Amino acid sequence: MSAQLNATPHRFSEARLAEIAELVKRYPSAQSALMPVLYMAQEDFGYLSMDVQQHVADVLNLRLMQVREVVTFYTMFREQPCGSYLLEVCTSSGCMLNGAYELVTHMADTLGIKIGETTPDGLFTLTEVECAGACGGAPVVQVNNVYHEKATPESMDALITQVRASGGGK
Amino acid sequence: MIPSDPKQVKQICFDRINIPDVHTLAVARKHGAYEFLPTVLAEFTAAKIIDEVKVSGLRGRGGAGFPTGLKWSFVPRNTGKPTYLLCNADEGEPGTFKDRDIMRFDPHLLIEGMIMAGFALGVRDAYIYIRGEFVHEANVLNAAIKEAYAANLLGENILGSGYSMELTVHRGAGAYVCGEETALIESLEGKPGRPRFKPPFPAVEGFYRCPTVVNNVETLATVPAILKHGGAWHAAIGVPNNTGCKIFSVSGHVNKPGNYEVPMGTSLKTLIEDYCGGLQHGSVPKVVIPGGSSTPWLTAEHYNTPLTYDGMIKAGSMLGSGAVIVLDETADVVSFTRRLAHFYAHESCGQCTPCREGTGWLERIMDRIEAGQGCEGDLRVLKDASTHMAGRTICALADGAAAPILSMLKHFPEEVRAYLAENAA
Amino acid sequence: MTSLLINDQEVEVTPGTSILEACRQHGVDVPYFCYHPELSVAANCRMCLVEVEGWGKPAASCCTPVSEGMKVKTQTESLKKDRKMVMEYLLIHHPLDCPVCDQGGGCKLQDYALTHGASKGRYAEHKRAVVNYELGPFVNTCMTRCIHCTRCVRFADEVAGTGDIGVLNRSDHMTIAGIVEEALESELSGNLPDICPVGALLDKPSLDVSRPWEMTHHKGTCTQCPNGCDINIESRGDEVMRIRPVENSPEPWLCDRGRYVYDAFRSDARILEPRVRRDGALAATGWDEAFEQAVALLKGKRVGIVFSPDWSVEAHASIRLMRDALFPDAKVAYDLHRRDLRPFAFEEGFSMTTAQIEAADQVVVLGSDLRQRLPLLMQRLRKRGRAGKPVARIGAMNYRTNMTISSDAIIRPRDWPAVIARAMEQVRVLGKTAAGFDAWLAAVPERHEAGKILADALMADSCALLVGEEIRSHDDAAALIYGIDLLMRACGHAEKDSDGRNLIPEGMNTQSLAASFGDVRISAGELFAQAGAGALDALVVIGSDPMGDGLFPSAAAAVLGKVPLVQIGSISGRTGEFADVQLPASAYPENEGTFVNMEGRIRVATNPIRSLGQERPLWKVMMRLIQVMGGEVPVVSMDELRAVVAGRMPELAGIWASGETDSVMVRPARNRDAACVPRKQDQAFALDVVSRYSMYREGMWARASGLLSEAADLHALDDVLVHPDTLASAGLAAGELTVRSFLGEKVFHVGVREDVSPGVLFIARRGVAGELSDVSAASLSGGK
Ligand SMILES: Cc1cc2nc3c(=O)[nH]c(=O)nc-3n(C[C@H](O)[C@H](O)[C@H](O)COP(=O)(O)O)c2cc1C
Ligand code: SF4
Ligand code: FES
Repeated sequence: MSAQLNATPHRFSEARLAEIAELVKRYPSAQSALMPVLYMAQEDFGYLSMDVQQHVADVLNLRLMQVREVVTFYTMFREQPCGSYLLEVCTSSGCMLNGAYELVTHMADTLGIKIGETTPDGLFTLTEVECAGACGGAPVVQVNNVYHEKATPESMDALITQVRASGGGK
Repeated sequence: MIPSDPKQVKQICFDRINIPDVHTLAVARKHGAYEFLPTVLAEFTAAKIIDEVKVSGLRGRGGAGFPTGLKWSFVPRNTGKPTYLLCNADEGEPGTFKDRDIMRFDPHLLIEGMIMAGFALGVRDAYIYIRGEFVHEANVLNAAIKEAYAANLLGENILGSGYSMELTVHRGAGAYVCGEETALIESLEGKPGRPRFKPPFPAVEGFYRCPTVVNNVETLATVPAILKHGGAWHAAIGVPNNTGCKIFSVSGHVNKPGNYEVPMGTSLKTLIEDYCGGLQHGSVPKVVIPGGSSTPWLTAEHYNTPLTYDGMIKAGSMLGSGAVIVLDETADVVSFTRRLAHFYAHESCGQCTPCREGTGWLERIMDRIEAGQGCEGDLRVLKDASTHMAGRTICALADGAAAPILSMLKHFPEEVRAYLAENAA
Repeated sequence: MTSLLINDQEVEVTPGTSILEACRQHGVDVPYFCYHPELSVAANCRMCLVEVEGWGKPAASCCTPVSEGMKVKTQTESLKKDRKMVMEYLLIHHPLDCPVCDQGGGCKLQDYALTHGASKGRYAEHKRAVVNYELGPFVNTCMTRCIHCTRCVRFADEVAGTGDIGVLNRSDHMTIAGIVEEALESELSGNLPDICPVGALLDKPSLDVSRPWEMTHHKGTCTQCPNGCDINIESRGDEVMRIRPVENSPEPWLCDRGRYVYDAFRSDARILEPRVRRDGALAATGWDEAFEQAVALLKGKRVGIVFSPDWSVEAHASIRLMRDALFPDAKVAYDLHRRDLRPFAFEEGFSMTTAQIEAADQVVVLGSDLRQRLPLLMQRLRKRGRAGKPVARIGAMNYRTNMTISSDAIIRPRDWPAVIARAMEQVRVLGKTAAGFDAWLAAVPERHEAGKILADALMADSCALLVGEEIRSHDDAAALIYGIDLLMRACGHAEKDSDGRNLIPEGMNTQSLAASFGDVRISAGELFAQAGAGALDALVVIGSDPMGDGLFPSAAAAVLGKVPLVQIGSISGRTGEFADVQLPASAYPENEGTFVNMEGRIRVATNPIRSLGQERPLWKVMMRLIQVMGGEVPVVSMDELRAVVAGRMPELAGIWASGETDSVMVRPARNRDAACVPRKQDQAFALDVVSRYSMYREGMWARASGLLSEAADLHALDDVLVHPDTLASAGLAAGELTVRSFLGEKVFHVGVREDVSPGVLFIARRGVAGELSDVSAASLSGGK
């Protein structure tokens, strides 16, 4: 069983495969390497399409279902593409008490999208996330997993403006 | 033996935290990192280490407060299977952010603690399971681990002692429940993080069905000091049965939120007023959640409760992970509870009936109440649905989900009713 | 033993038992959804909560082991409230569409809602709807009804070994799903609706046609494979609606073949009235005329008899009585799958029970596609594999097993002597030998490395060999089996209690046949050859279909239609095309009778379903035939017939008297003087031919079943397969190629597959190349 659905299937590079082979050795069983390898796949291919998931299954000698279960359980694995800048606003307890809802609403307005959406230019995706584990710096916004603590509407506007001005190159 | 002035005691986990670049091996070593390790590896037996930890009275800092030395002594020896050490760095409990500081500022403290724990437990492979969002922290740890390998502090035959240990950082991917130790184990096995029922306990059958110890970052980071200064030294800090220092992550309506490591037994009031600069509004808190969002709420009447496992239980709550969330008089407890209900509904692993269906149900009722569409009957349902989740599931997430709802109903029934009435009008 | 108090009653159970099992064993009713005695424990439904004195909170009884002196309460006010809440949680998203759900009346959720639930739900928010998914031809999904007990997931993983069902997402978005666009690949899929406690997975073939309370239940024995499972035939009126496993029988599951064959009971292929051939076509007639015709064809003639082993023991006895009374010189063929009819050192049947095989230190499968042949035994091996016990295998193809085989070797059938010889040498080095070794070894010049797997396994304290069709149908089977017998004796596995010699029989009841027909049997191929050579004047075929099944379709085709044929049975099959007279005999679920499975387990059917037409029990047809032919009718009642059977198989007499069937096992025959060494192999053709058995196509019943035929299409492989090296070494490419054998030359489409042994021509027996089943060796050359 291998996926022949996609016309241009994503495949790991030789270097990646070598890296994976090394990684697998650090665990009692290759299945443990599944999450790290999914991160690699997400980095290399943008998101985890069914074809990519099948490829990961093949590489680690797992069943597709074992991969599907993991991909759908964890929120950080994406089955859909997202913008180049993933803006994740924590609205959980500490951040909520320090204005996170006002902040995320403001950002949605600035971007002209709803929470959960991606801007038409594909630059930004805005989402709400659960406690980011940095409540001392509330409110917290993660931009592609870089923490911005004590974020304000102004600091976020500045960030958005800067990205737009630079044409979006990461 | 309670020190008369708690401030005399130096910090344990945060001892080096403010030293610039202490995350690098060179700086860390200059300030005592790995200084005592050769002595431990050469002169201490496993039994002695476990004994010192038992004497120290150290209790797990991850939430449950289980005595660490006792946990280690449950690990069966000579089973023919490997023993694993897993560091729980999932730090997902809303309000908790202490482990992050240890890992990003003083990673070598954790690594040293893990080597010592690994040595005591006969561990060959150890893992740090870190929440997926902590990319920076994972990078810092990986760099520190690399340096440690290069300095023969990890890997084969550590410092010529004959003891070998491999240490790997493993990133989670956005699932609070993976902080629960058996879910963590499932996740580390490359599966969805669904907790396992106990028994068997991980100490006997954990990672790949082998004996496994899971400890919190702070717990492991305390080990080097205990071995260096002796268990008795640690036991003398704090109050009996609640020894040592503890990091409290204070968030919410305080002027100076952040992490504070203080001796156990310090009062809640001291922590908030002396360390955190008091409340943003008013003089006494409306609500204090002392141990992370999963623990029952306290109100102003418990402002003087000592920060100890026992003290908090006596006051009707739990010390949990030491995440103190403070709500001042401006707080809207209904919206706040609604937000927590959403958290638990989002994070339930889905396997147990009461938790899967209950968390979603609670969230939807709270949504409705917040939107002004609640009715008196909802209060009864909220109470029933949360009471019968708690203590009836595989893991304690359901208890955590019930706590805010039950606390809200217990302490602020009138405020909730006002919500119904106000919005119904 | 651990003793504990359950509701103040002291009980004793084995240590480690769960509280729930302890309750079940002692008749204390604790409700549960996710628990299933045959599956791993999940403990997720939380319905089974009980109270243990001194514990702060209720315990899930399914996952809590008992301990000495534990005090358990199952019926407290607080537990009642807990159960009521669990029911309320489960029902908040349930569609409550019981009136249109097949599960209604047999649904745990419905039952518990009544006994444990509240009269009214309080959920007022929006309800969840879940998409359905594809689970193959036999299982219908309605996932909105799912209660997430994960029984199906555990079944797919642990029993079927496919793991194709999984748990996606989390929280209340969690769903049970398969892989989109891929149907479940399991021959056990029909069990899914049974283990689903609600109406999420339902039986597709019987969907929307009946309800549990309309059914009449008949206990029977499945004769679709030698395992002979207990079956519960559910009928509405006389029509069979479903076949299901019987609770507390040795196997809790049924395979799809045994379960879905029932639609053949009403198929057009049934022989429901006596028929005679008139003007080239079969025409219905009365019994009298049909018998008259039969007499005309058979009286005073030299007759060959072919019958199926699947008939009951009593029916077999009646065939023997008929033969002895009417055709005392006739040879009889009942095995369409054996080329070598010399007595085997150990005859067909198992010397171990399935449970013993599951528990043995070592198991070696020798030349069998076990998953197709004996799906439930395969399931036991899977279970054993999960427990970390080895299963080794030697065979002509990497047959799919859905489990990890511990050691595996792919060989050609002609390698078997070399494999056995290699094993003999290895065990002899370790000081284990038997009297016939030298002669046997001397006859075999080659050695094959696969023998190491066999020899290694034989060194264990207990070793079960499962000897399969590749050996049984080998041209030199008697020599191979003698060789294996020697190995078993040498390694100490031939004592009474540690006998691991299991020869997988072709059909039900084969076990008892060596005893009752050993003196008059002949190979079916030989019988057809004699008929073709004019040595026989007529054939009587009883419930067998030699053109559709077995190894002699070409031989049968050469004589059927040329020699007068009287067909007696329940299904017409290909044989019917050539019958001059057809006499209807009732089918297996329609008969009283005794069945002996491969293990020697005995079952007596007493509550058959009613026959559909004029068919009669076979033994009555036999007696009537004797009568009309002018013979003396030997028995006139079932009791008299059984007395005859008891003459040959005394162990059965007690069973009929007492009804107690589990105390006696029928052991396979052993021929201690059946010594023969391998013959020199005929190397005229380069390739060995192995034909693939398909559980969806083999047997008259399966072919008459529309449901199984549909599944057969899903599971079809190419008709002729070879290993790529086989083609490469002959300078050929896949495609149309000429197959040469003793039958002559013919062009077939040849495909390649890595998991076939090089040097083997692998054919789908029931496909277009089925006629090649007759040959054991062939060669390939370019097409055209
Ligand atoms: C839902 C849930 C989430 C948890 N999350 C964490 C966590 O993020 N970090 C942690 O150290 N312990 C967490 N725990 C506690 C662990 O299960 C476990 O008790 C702890 O890691 C043991 O380490 P310790 O003895 O050093 O405290 C959690 C428990 C539950 C029930
Ligand atoms: S209580 Fe909730 S999170 Fe914990 S195992 Fe059960 S369903 Fe999962
Ligand atoms: S049967 Fe025990 S939790 Fe389901």
